[in-house]
Amino acid sequence: MDIAKYRNLFLEEATEHLSEMSRSLLLLEKESGDGEAIDTVFRMAHSIKGMAGSLGYDSITELSHLLEDRMDLCRQQGRVPAGEHGIGLLFRGLEGLERLVGFVRETGEPPPPDEALITAVREAPVEFPEEAESGGDPPKKA
Amino acid sequence: MKRVLVADDASFMRQMIRDIIEPEGYEVVGEASDGVEVVEKFQELNPDVVMMDIVMPKRSGIDAVKSIVEKFPGSKVVMCSALGQEALVMEAIQAGAKDFIVKPFKPDSVVSTLGKVLEKDD
Repeated sequence: MDIAKYRNLFLEEATEHLSEMSRSLLLLEKESGDGEAIDTVFRMAHSIKGMAGSLGYDSITELSHLLEDRMDLCRQQGRVPAGEHGIGLLFRGLEGLERLVGFVRETGEPPPPDEALITAVREAPVEFPEEAESGGDPPKKA
Repeated sequence: MKRVLVADDASFMRQMIRDIIEPEGYEVVGEASDGVEVVEKFQELNPDVVMMDIVMPKRSGIDAVKSIVEKFPGSKVVMCSALGQEALVMEAIQAGAKDFIVKPFKPDSVVSTLGKVLEKDD
């Protein structure tokens, strides 16, 4: 396999996907039940996962897989919850993928994993808060 | 030479399939990047087999398989799936897909699956 050719294809296509993901997350920040935007983020994560897996970029594969699973939950629930475990986490995931793809662009090497982010996405609650309460995370006790 | 239509929204994946199968004597007669285009291209090109991603925009790969098999009974479609998509693969097989391959692609597996599907006499 011509790694350099595929690396360039990956960088080009992943960058487009991340831009599209960003646009869709901005839409979801305004309208949490935008089904088309949820579907787009799911597909972009899925596509990045497939490409990264083919090149052995395991850290990108793992993070995009977790985000894809997260978006699958959102598809099932019909919305992206607000707050740090909802839309906030997806924006963190997007930024994480941008950093990892940036590492590949700068070094040409597989990027090291972002363990803290992986843990945060993996351990995010699968039960979404009720919509009426989804304007933010529950207030902390004084 | 067997004629193949490749459908995946990622040009990266379409190129990879092309690079795996063309040296093995297959001709990629067309590419599609969504679930609507693949049905149109199938109608236009009448390929011997389609290699189709499950997750695509506009229309999923599963819907596209259903449509192709309904319109052209006996059509041969191989699904390209990822780990963790077993339920979707089963749905695609029930919808009429003949077989599947898993990403990341192993070239030997892609070629042998394609050969096996094309050998089957429906």
